[in-house]
Order: sequence, then C-alpha cells, then structure tokens
Amino acid sequence: MSQHKTITVALAGNPNAGKSSLFNALTGAHQRVGNFPGVTIEKHEGYLDYRGYRITVVDLPGTYSLTPYSPEEIVTRRFIIDEKPDVVVNVVEGTNLERNLMLTVQLMEMEVDLLVALNMMDEVEEKGISIDLDQLERLFGSHIVPISARNRKGLDELLDHIVSVSEGRIEIRKNKITFSAEVEKAIDKIAVLLAHERELDAAANHRWLAIKLLENDREVYTQVQKYPVWVKIELALQEAITECGILHSTDPEALITEDRHAFVRGAMQECVRLPKAARASASDYIDAVVLNRVLGLPVFFLVVWAIFQLTFTLGKPLMEALAYAFGLLSETVAPHLPAGMVRSIFVDGVISGVGSVVVFLPNIVLLFMGLSFLEASGYMARAAFVIDKVMHRFGLHGKSFIPMITGFGCSIPAIMATRTLKSRSDRLATIMTIPFMSCGAKLPVYVLLAGAFFPPAMAANVMFGIYLLGIMIGLWTAWLLKSTVLKSDSEPFVMELPPYRWPTLTSVVFQARMKAVMYLKKAGTLILGAVIVIWAASNFPRSSALDAELVQEKAKIEATAVAPELKAEQLQTLEARIEASQLEYSLAGRSGKLLEPLIRPLGFDWRIGISLVTGLAAKEVVVSTLGTIFSIGHAAGETSLSQILRSDPGFSKATALSLMVFVLLYIPCVASVGVMKKEVGAWKPVLLYSVYVLAVAWIASFITYRLALLWM
Amino acid sequence: MKLSELKAGDRAEVTSVAAEPAVRRRLMDLGLVRGTELKVLRFAPLGDPIEVNCNGMLLTMRRNEAEGITVHILAGDEGHQHGWPGFRRRHRFGKRA
Ligand SMILES: Nc1nc2c(ncn2[C@@H]2O[C@H](COP(=O)(O)OP(=O)(O)OP(=O)(O)O)[C@@H](O)[C@H]2O)c(=O)[nH]1
Ligand SMILES: [Mg+2]
Repeated sequence: MSQHKTITVALAGNPNAGKSSLFNALTGAHQRVGNFPGVTIEKHEGYLDYRGYRITVVDLPGTYSLTPYSPEEIVTRRFIIDEKPDVVVNVVEGTNLERNLMLTVQLMEMEVDLLVALNMMDEVEEKGISIDLDQLERLFGSHIVPISARNRKGLDELLDHIVSVSEGRIEIRKNKITFSAEVEKAIDKIAVLLAHERELDAAANHRWLAIKLLENDREVYTQVQKYPVWVKIELALQEAITECGILHSTDPEALITEDRHAFVRGAMQECVRLPKAARASASDYIDAVVLNRVLGLPVFFLVVWAIFQLTFTLGKPLMEALAYAFGLLSETVAPHLPAGMVRSIFVDGVISGVGSVVVFLPNIVLLFMGLSFLEASGYMARAAFVIDKVMHRFGLHGKSFIPMITGFGCSIPAIMATRTLKSRSDRLATIMTIPFMSCGAKLPVYVLLAGAFFPPAMAANVMFGIYLLGIMIGLWTAWLLKSTVLKSDSEPFVMELPPYRWPTLTSVVFQARMKAVMYLKKAGTLILGAVIVIWAASNFPRSSALDAELVQEKAKIEATAVAPELKAEQLQTLEARIEASQLEYSLAGRSGKLLEPLIRPLGFDWRIGISLVTGLAAKEVVVSTLGTIFSIGHAAGETSLSQILRSDPGFSKATALSLMVFVLLYIPCVASVGVMKKEVGAWKPVLLYSVYVLAVAWIASFITYRLALLWM
Repeated sequence: MKLSELKAGDRAEVTSVAAEPAVRRRLMDLGLVRGTELKVLRFAPLGDPIEVNCNGMLLTMRRNEAEGITVHILAGDEGHQHGWPGFRRRHRFGKRA
C-alpha cells in the first residue's frame, strides 16, 4: 500500500505502565503482558491502518529514566534518539502518577513530539482519584488522553491525537522546566559552548545534551568528548559540581532529579485529588500474609506446589480421555489400511508417535495457565522479594527468579528474560540455571513415566520432586559459577511491587488457546517429521534372513497339530520376537546398540538410548520415540503406552526414575542452545556448558538408579 | 540514621542517597530524593530485602542499598509494626477507635 502516508509511533513509559497492553490493543499483536516490571526486553513493531495512514507502532522496553544503565533502557533511548519517531506516546500509569511523570519530564526535555496516554483509567476511577487533565496539559505542554489499554477504551481518541500531532494540527508546546539557578547557569554555558562547536550537528538539542552531561550520562560524554570544545565543557562541568556542592551540598545530578521531582510534585498537588481516607486496600491485606516473615516462604512453596499438583491431577482425566481416543482411532483405522508397510507407518509411526505427544496437551495448557496466572496476578515480583535472600546465597539475584519460573514454561523466553539483570556475571549465571528449570516439553515425559510406575497420589509428588531436583542442581551450578569463573560484586536489588490485578478471563483463555495451538503445531510439524524419520530408521534396513526365518517358523507352527487358539498365540509371540530382532537389526537399533554401553549403568537399554538422542530436537520427541519403538510388535490400539512400558522387561520403577532425572538434566533442546549462544555471545562457553550438563545428568541418573534399585 | 536501621512501621524522611551511580540513579528516579517521606513496611522472611512505601509506591531493596540512604526519623506509627494494615484503626479488643 504505497499510497498510504506513514506515521511512526513509539510507546515509551515506566515498566509495567501498560505499553505492551496498549500495543496489543492497537495492532492486534500478542506481545507478552505481565504484571511485573521488565516484561518487554526488546522493541517490537506492529502496524495498523487508521484514517488513511499506515501507523507503525513500536513497543519499547519500560524505563525509569532516560539516562540509561541497563540494556533495555539503552534500547529505548537509542530508538527515540536515532530513529526519531514522528510521535512519542508516553504511557503513564494513572494510579502511580508521581513516579510516572518523572519520565514524562525527561521526555519533555528531549523536545520530542509527545503525547501522554493516561492509562489504567479504570483503576483510577475505581480508587476515586480525580485528575484535572486540563491543568496537567497546561503544565506539561502535551495533550493527555485518558485510556484503558486493557479494556480498549479511549483508543480511537488516542489515534486521532496521534494523527493530529503528526499532521501538525496539535501544537506541542515543549515547555521547559526550570532547574535551580546554578544548574541553569551551567546548562546555558555548556549549551552555548556546544552551539559554537562547528563539527557538532547544528540541529542537535544543545540544552538536552548539557543536561545529560551534568547528569553524568556516559553515552553523551563519549559523544561530546571527541570535539575540541570538550576542554572548555569539562571546566564548566567542574565549576557546576563545585557550586552545587557549596550551595546545595549535593551534586548536579541529584539536584536536577530533585528539581524534576519538585516540578512533578507541584503538578500533582495542583491537579490530583486522592480520595480522603485512603483505606488499607485488599492488596495490603494480601501482602500482610504473602510477604509475612513467617508465612512468606511456606506460601511461596505452596503456590509452586499447587501449580504442579493442578497440572497433574486436573490434567489426568483429560489426558486419559485423549489417550483412549487415540487408541480408538488406531483400532478403527488399522483394518482399512493394507497390512504391512502402510499400516505400520500410520499406526506405529504417525498415530502412536504423534498421539503419544498430543495426549499431554491438557497438562501443558494447565501448566501454562498456572504460570500465566502467576505472571498476571502480581505475585511474581513478590516471590522475587521473598526468595531474594536465598538466591543471594547462591550468588544469584531475586530477579533471577523471574526468568527461572518462566523457564518452567519454555527456556527460550526465559533465557531472553535474563536481560533485565544488569550485571553480566549475574546474567550468565542465571542463564546457566535455566536449562535445569524443567521446561514444558519435558512434562510429557514425567507425566508418562510417573503415571505409569507410581500410584496416582504419588505421581504428582514424584513430579514435584523432579522439579525440585532441577532447581537444586540449577542453584548449585550458579553457586559453582559465581564462586569460580563469574566472581563479581553482587548486583543491587531495587524493585517495585505492582498492585495485585485479576487476570482477565479473556486473556487467560486466549493464552491457553495460543499455547494449545502452538503445541499442536509443533506436534504436527517437528514431531511428526521426527516420528517419520524414527519410524524409517527403526524399520530399515530389514534383515532378509529374519524374514526367511519368520516364514519358516510360521510354516512349522501351521504344520503342528495343536488347538487353533494355541496356534494363534504361538504365532503372535513368534511375530513379536522377529519384529524385535528386526528392530535391533535396523539403523536405529544399531545406533542404539552403539550407545548402550554408555547408558547401561543408568538402567537404559538401547531403545531408550534412541529416544534420548532424538529428544535433542525437542524433549517431547522422547515420548513419541518411545511410542513408536515400543509399539512395534504390539497390535494396534492393544494397550496404552504406559501399559506397554509397565509390562516391558526393560523398564522398571528404577529405570523410570533414572530416565526422568536424565531427561530433566541432559542438554536442552537445539533451539534453546542456539538462543543461549546468542545471549552469551560465544560458542565455547556454551559447548563447555553442554558437556558439564551431560556429565551432571549422567552422574545424577546413575545415583538415582542405584538408590532406586536398593530401596524399591 | 540509615534506612537499614529503621524498624518495620517507622516513618522517615530521606536526607541523602548514596550508592554506586547506576543504583543511585534508579533510586532517585523511583522518587527517593531529599525530602521524600517513606514508611518501612516490612522485612522479607529472611530479614532481607526490605519493603518501603514511598509516595504510595511499594519499593523493595536490599539492606545493602538501604545502608546508603540516610534518613531522619519521623514520629513512629506503632500500630503498624504488626504488619497488618488495618490494625491501627481498631482498638486492641476489636472495637472501633
Ligand atoms: N486495570 C488495568 N490494568 C491494565 C491496563 N493496561 C494494562 N494493565 C495491566 O498492567 C500490567 C502491565 O501491562 P504491560 O502491558 O505488560 O506493561 P508494560 O508497560 O508493557 O510493561 P514492561 O514490558 O514491563 O515495561 C498487566 O498486568 C496488564 O494487564 C488497564 O488499562 N487497566
Ligand atoms: Mg511490555
């Protein structure tokens, strides 16, 4: 659509102000939204068409300040400065104006075309806060549009304003706030010096550069330092520091912030009326329990435990229903397919391979619903607060906990979420713990094995134990790294707790549906592909000697004079025996055999070996491979996979436990190794780490297997 | 007096903020500047970090960071020491004050 006129809009604001919610509401995108600061860490673009315009909306990571320290703050500032969006929409949390307006003031200083979107108006009204918008607009010089991103209120008005600003029909007055006299003097002096520097872009905002220099902004420092005028500027800066020290007993940076604060506070006093008797809110009461010195930690463990309990117990009947449906499917389909190759590929390969993965859909959806409830409710930041000291002991950070919990869903977003940690060594240590946080893809393996070998009441606890083991080894790894190669000062912990919010039903349902679709897609593509490859590898090459043997033996049995039922039974055992030998002869069988000496001490035979190798593509494939390999030689729909495993001589309780531990710990999937490399920046540490992980997995499984043999 | 030396329930006014540049910046951007009033709400289960209410915002930080913030204590708010928000507005025996 080239005839469209285009507008670029950047969404800037404090963390948790609702930028991504607004972005999603405007563009129909599905960016992650969560009720804790630091959800978005990269910029995202989206489009919409409005009144003949093609509007590009850019969702930016939240920032408290425009003097950037953490990587995501740098992203935001760079975008505003370098890409020069046509309109900057400052998303402001209406219930927390004082802090939010501090950033608005800094955006004003940049003299961008600013619009303020006053978000969360629903909460503002509910709390009985009244805001004098006209006066606030006068003070800040920008238009203010009240919206509620979550309820999609005020969006058209906001878009109208965006269009008007970009057409120049709304004047942004670009008010300047006046700082203390000494600061102003220094700003003027430096701005004049900068204006006289011919090499510097004449269009640059000299006042802003001067302010940033006084604020010790490293980026601006390096930008200006290369010009000859720097010598004079440095003198002026020195002078300002001395003057502020004498007159205000502080430094220019603090003074500037105090002045901004004074301005905001003045504006608040003029424009905002809080309800008279601010009563203790429900949030305060919940916190009194959840953050309680005695109850805090037990509540934390209870919450996490409840999620796994729910995932398993609630998911179980649904899972069984699905398993029954797949059994029925293969029974009905099998007779209609020509016997032999075609039937085998559909029944043994596709239906039991893919089916064995799809069966776990309810568990996966429930797990993700539990996690998204944690994210949306506001408990996540509180958990970080409660658990910080423990994490600190292991050299991690309370905030490391958020990516770690995300890791229970999927490692990839979790590894990326570590970007909110400022110190590199903390980030690396946290990244290295994430593969031990058992991801959703491993869940089917546990559900299958725990369900097959333990009574229902125990199964959920076995699973919870597996998760705990992962957490413990993850923390231990972090401690190991932090006390050897990643030694550093601990990163400070300063975090805001958001108010509790009810997750909306639509968002929960939507999330669940999206996860379900993604899971099914994965089952239909990656897993289906893997299943077909595995089927082929476990059916070819075929030994003609064995085929001949089958024919011979069959003839022998037919020739004997026994009862027909006995004959049928003998035939079946014979077929199963030959099929099993064929499997050993096949490509998969031979490679499994090659691996067997390595994994025999863990209680695994070559068939499990194959599934572990294929599981590197994605952990669900472990289950689908078991489904394909173990169903070879069994009649279609005869029994469920868990029954087959239970009756298999190669599988015991001890094997099941050992396999769960191994799957929990051994190398994460290929995709997450790739992301890890990207975030760490080099292959070498990632490869070393993979070796470490494999070794840990082997040792832990070995111990598990031996202990289980002793005690069970 | 340092913020880290206050007890749960104490109210105080900030007199200066010292910390390494990035943290100081973050604290100041969050509204902890000279003259800001705050109230210590509670300590985490293991005694660290601490939670304060500052301009209606719930802010948490480690003792380590709180040590850099000097405050001057305002009249204590005893009823809140128990950490139960509505406590002060009632009598001990459950009657309304
Ligand atoms: N009540 C209410 N809640 C809202 C509204 N808009 C957003 N929220 C909630 O506010 C929280 C934060 O929303 P996000 O959109 O993730 O915030 P963000 O600004 O993108 O946050 P970061 O990515 O961390 O910077 C979520 O829990 C939203 O559901 C609103 O209009 N009303
Ligand atoms: Mg966001």
